[in-house]
Amino acid sequence: MNKRTERIRELASNLLKEGTVEMVIGFGRGTTPMATRPDIARTPEDVEKLVWNSNCSLNLANYLTDRKGQIGIIAKGCDSRNIVNHIVENKILREQLYIIGVPCTGMVDKVRLAALCDEEILEYTEDGEGSITLKTASGKKEAAKEDYLKPNCATCMHRNPVIYDDLAADLVDEPEIEDQFADVKAIEAMAPKEKWDYFDDLVNECIRCYACRNACPLCFCPTCFVDESGPQWVGKGQSETDVKTFHFLRAYHCAGRCTDCGACVEACPMDINVRAFTRKLVKDSLEIYDWEAGLDMEKRPPLDTFNPNDPDDFIK
Amino acid sequence: MKYIRIDKQAWDSGMDRAGKSYQLFGPVKSREHHVFQRLEDGQLPDMGAINTVLSPKSVLFPQTEKILETTLDESQPDHHIMKRAGADYSPRAVIGIAPCDARAVELLNLNFDTDEYKDPYWCDAYAATTFVGLAVTVPSIYDFTVSAGSGPFAEEGLDILLADCKDSYLAKVLTDKGRAFADAAGFENEEDSKKAEDIFKTMKEEAEAGITSAIETDQLREKNLLDLHQAPFWEDIAFSCINCGTCTFVCPTCWCFDIQDETKGTNSIRIRNWDTCMSPLFTLHGSGHNPRSESTQRVRQRFMHKLKYFVDKYDQGTMCVGCGRCVEHCPVNIDIRRVCNTMNAYEPEKP
Amino acid sequence: MEHMGIEKERLHFSWISSAEATKFAHVAKEVTDSVRSIEPNEKLVKQLD
Repeated sequence: MNKRTERIRELASNLLKEGTVEMVIGFGRGTTPMATRPDIARTPEDVEKLVWNSNCSLNLANYLTDRKGQIGIIAKGCDSRNIVNHIVENKILREQLYIIGVPCTGMVDKVRLAALCDEEILEYTEDGEGSITLKTASGKKEAAKEDYLKPNCATCMHRNPVIYDDLAADLVDEPEIEDQFADVKAIEAMAPKEKWDYFDDLVNECIRCYACRNACPLCFCPTCFVDESGPQWVGKGQSETDVKTFHFLRAYHCAGRCTDCGACVEACPMDINVRAFTRKLVKDSLEIYDWEAGLDMEKRPPLDTFNPNDPDDFIK
Repeated sequence: MKYIRIDKQAWDSGMDRAGKSYQLFGPVKSREHHVFQRLEDGQLPDMGAINTVLSPKSVLFPQTEKILETTLDESQPDHHIMKRAGADYSPRAVIGIAPCDARAVELLNLNFDTDEYKDPYWCDAYAATTFVGLAVTVPSIYDFTVSAGSGPFAEEGLDILLADCKDSYLAKVLTDKGRAFADAAGFENEEDSKKAEDIFKTMKEEAEAGITSAIETDQLREKNLLDLHQAPFWEDIAFSCINCGTCTFVCPTCWCFDIQDETKGTNSIRIRNWDTCMSPLFTLHGSGHNPRSESTQRVRQRFMHKLKYFVDKYDQGTMCVGCGRCVEHCPVNIDIRRVCNTMNAYEPEKP
Repeated sequence: MEHMGIEKERLHFSWISSAEATKFAHVAKEVTDSVRSIEPNEKLVKQLD
């Protein structure tokens, strides 16, 4: 068992013993080779459920929305930024939380790892030093974690939690990222028709399951615009127009709030790179408003406030 | 029982020939996964696919299906009349369907084709479809079909069952529809029945021995429904659920749908879309009341339906066929096998 | 919008007060000319199946 798991269990157990919190939300061991499951520990004995590995890709801040009581929460870098966001947007109170921060060394891309092997992966193990072993029916395959990081982890600028009450490991170095938005620039360089076709192709397998929306901590509207029926803004069928409207409009709702945690991509059963919709807005936020979501509990997000200095050269 | 040996060299041209009289559907590789799709001219089904993300139920029950249409355009002879939407029910063949998915189609028949009511869209599609199944020789780790009423070599719902014998397929022709398909494809090298039976028997045993996953269902029927409903374990099982529709959409036996009307100008269509009981909207009444407003209630309902209500009502085993798709694709790893075993073993505390 | 593949000729922003009638007419003409300079786009228009 790795050190982070040990420390998480220790900290969680203490919190529950002392009664500081009524529950600790973290990741539990999954029932399939590369899975973890968001889980809840309510007693000191329960903490044995909690684990930490490179498959903790979902965003636990999603489970805080409007929750009552005193809550312990395990938070990696991006999760902690979403916790700040939640506090700024009044979806949880800071006083309710005891945050066990986990300095993160990145999560792995399950799809690319699976593509490495010709057969199904029967077992996944990692040594904690950056090496992954995949076991299939006919043998083993080794892989270096840093070659198989999820795309958002490869460009992550905030591996350390930005808010925490305790840490489950020493802070890690924040890496120097050469070109954080190379993927966005690649699309920006396309002609309009190419761009349209790119996004068309991206969502042609979307089944409107809304896993992306539901896994996203930002999506907490009591009635999502796609579910609204009086008036109905978006059709519920598989019409291309409706599918694209859902994705683009959802991305717009995340403008200035998205922390690029990748939970949307992780959740999607059709392996769609849902981040392609929000990445441009993350870039724009940074370049136009010098804003990164979830870093400061005191500041209001740019789309929430007006400043006379806001750029307006696009208005003629 | 007729058995046919199909050389893999002859398979491609057979598909070609069959394609002249059937619309062919089969597994196709897309990105890093497989989907069931209408095969284009000359496109071959990927018979090496381990499992498709979505089940082949969409061939008979598409995710979005136009069911009625009407126009207000008075220049049209049938204006103001809502009529059944035209659709293509010419013969179709689903190639490479797994035995558990074929059983799932039979379970869907229980819902769509009853004495009291026959869903015309489903029934017409079903009548037009021939199921050419591919037996599973190397079961996936997610495959628990044997304990769920099916199996890697099960025949329920199939018209032909193919066994992959490396250089050839050995086809067991199960129905008249199957016979017609084999004829259309020009597959005619009959194999000696006894020999073929033995081959099937051996392959079946080997495949079943390769299944590593199982559920326990023997006590489900006897369990008291209310006890299960009020059991304390649902909250923890449902904790991670994010209420997306993944499990219901990948499931081969889920049959719920939603009807929507869409209009443009003077034209109007009524469509039905797959619906998911995981959505909070699913049970939202017109009055605003919602009997399943909490996530725990919806998660409980899903498993109770698949593993208890269906068992009690139809007496055909569970509504789960063990395909393992929900286990593989649930973003938060809610595992039906774990839930089933918990339900099967549950004893309420004595007061 | 541009990122989605909608040409920049289609979306314009302008501050116009109700007292600036001339500017309004001018901008209206400009936008019309701009949109007409590129071919019609039906891609986001929903078609009934």
